[in-house]
Amino acid sequence: MKKTLVILLALSLLLALAACGEKAPTSAAPPSEGRAVGGTLNIYTWEGMFPEDILSNFEAETGVTINYVNFDTDETMLSKLQDAKGGDYDLIIADDYIIELAIQEGLVQKLDAAKLSNYGNINPFYQGQFYDPADEYTIPYGAGVQTIVYDPSLTSIDIKGYADLLDPSLKNNVGVIANYRVIDGLALKINGYSYNTNNIDEINAAGATLLELAPNIRLIKDDNIEDDLIIREVAATVMYTSQVTMAKLAKPDLEVVYPSEGIGFGIMAGFIPSNAPNADAAYAFLNYILDAQRGAECFEWLGYYSTFSASDPLISEEFQSFLTLPEDFKTTDSEMIENISAEADAAHELIWTAFREATGQTD
Amino acid sequence: MKRKRRVSIAAILPMYLFTLLFVLGPLIYMLILSFASRDGQWGVSAEFTLKNYPRMLEPIYLRTFWNSIKLSLLSTLFVLLIGYPFGYFMARLTKKWRTIAMLLLIIPFWTSTLMRLYGWIIFFRANGVFDGLLMGLGLTTAPLKLLYSYPAVVVGMIYALVPFMIYSVYSSAEKLDWRLVEAARDLGASGFRAFLTVSLPLTAPGIFSGVILTFVPSMGLYFIADVLGGNKIVLIGNLIQEQLVKLHDWPFAAAMSVVLLVLTSVFLFLYRRVTKSDSLEGLV
Repeated sequence: MKKTLVILLALSLLLALAACGEKAPTSAAPPSEGRAVGGTLNIYTWEGMFPEDILSNFEAETGVTINYVNFDTDETMLSKLQDAKGGDYDLIIADDYIIELAIQEGLVQKLDAAKLSNYGNINPFYQGQFYDPADEYTIPYGAGVQTIVYDPSLTSIDIKGYADLLDPSLKNNVGVIANYRVIDGLALKINGYSYNTNNIDEINAAGATLLELAPNIRLIKDDNIEDDLIIREVAATVMYTSQVTMAKLAKPDLEVVYPSEGIGFGIMAGFIPSNAPNADAAYAFLNYILDAQRGAECFEWLGYYSTFSASDPLISEEFQSFLTLPEDFKTTDSEMIENISAEADAAHELIWTAFREATGQTD
Repeated sequence: MKRKRRVSIAAILPMYLFTLLFVLGPLIYMLILSFASRDGQWGVSAEFTLKNYPRMLEPIYLRTFWNSIKLSLLSTLFVLLIGYPFGYFMARLTKKWRTIAMLLLIIPFWTSTLMRLYGWIIFFRANGVFDGLLMGLGLTTAPLKLLYSYPAVVVGMIYALVPFMIYSVYSSAEKLDWRLVEAARDLGASGFRAFLTVSLPLTAPGIFSGVILTFVPSMGLYFIADVLGGNKIVLIGNLIQEQLVKLHDWPFAAAMSVVLLVLTSVFLFLYRRVTKSDSLEGLV
């Protein structure tokens, strides 16, 4: 009897191990397959990308059942999609750089714009970008524009660009997000280089600039950095657009600056995987949110820049200044962060670690 | 007899299997991974390489290792200074008070360490509890910017680790034969001298195990540096985590973990050599 128990135990351990070896299934319900149009729409994206009523109204109006599955990181998404060989999901919304890889691997199907009557609502500024130069595969859904946000009551200077963050008056008073490409990139921009340079000397020059910036850095973190600006723990921050939205809503007198050195931005975009079980439902949903009014609703909810020009005027006054690009915005000054060579990435890694280490030495 | 032996093996087998699978297994996996190559943006290829190890010789990584050791030593020192008297005098309390003290030490462990660290954020932050207190008393006029600083990290480390020192010293001091201390006093030793020559050597095993229980985990408590240090204090743990989560270089992260493991083992070995301690209170 006991022996059986032990064997059972051992087996259960082995089973547990085998399960670890397998790719774990998605946290939410696995997408169901093979149902006719109408059926189920499997959306795979981050948590909370759409207001609840957009999803429920879509279900009510079309009879499609939405199965919303979320991922934490773009990388998880791509590896799931690779395992599913471009199947399982009907609509995926993810970041630009990962979409480039997904397209290269043949996991994305070409869009038929004729099936999207609202296609013209898209802001052309966000189209034709590196990950999809001919706009064959994707619909941009929300953009992050890297801005500086500061509290004028805590600073003695007018911040106009990244170089101003080096000002000695900001000593130990600046907070930045923990994204190494964005922060290293800020230093590249101060030096007049591209975010995506593969030139190691340029990256190292940016590293030297970061070391100059280090004494001013109070905080490096991704989550809720806007809180530190709101409670006056830091005077100026470089942060993600969704955080800018939160900060501005909590404290409208904060200043949002488009850095004079140039704007970096990232785009989230939706695409239909190559073997999507229910592509028709995905088209229906994309067209549904591409509607000007619904789009505006989505972007206010999302807290990212509106990527539909038709939605821009419909975004309420309160959100206008930080969810739509200013009128005088020069598209020539903007650049997206793209995938770079492994050597350049390794150089970035080193200057980033050196920067962080230096920030800790200034207390 | 034979049957009894079989039963005891049967009882122990699951433990062995568990240890083999879940402790030794991951370690071996990590070791193998540390000799693998990075593939593309975040993948791992089975191609054998030694290059993950020399990469750590970059001055910046060496500095990080040194910073980690420095912070660990500093924290351990403070933990010893606070924890030793606490544990020592706790052992001298009456049974009732001892139980109460023990309970008070255990209660914080019912919530997660991370939650308790957030408590420190509220305490330290600009215009927070501590600032309010100091300014209310007229000692300072402006917020001190205590949060996201090196001292804040040290406080967090001490806070997280001090109970381990207290337990070790306490269990050692509890077994102390107080008659020996009394004898020393009777023979004319001052209280301090009696402590130095009798109590201290007899509680040394408690100190040793306390130091190990503090120093070894402190090398890996990277989240304290993240939460209270605003990510500015880069420890080996932070580097490993960042390589895993942000830079997706698993083989390099594995190599650093192996080095950290070897480093702590060396420290343990040296420690036992120097102190010649075989009996580690509560550890062995």
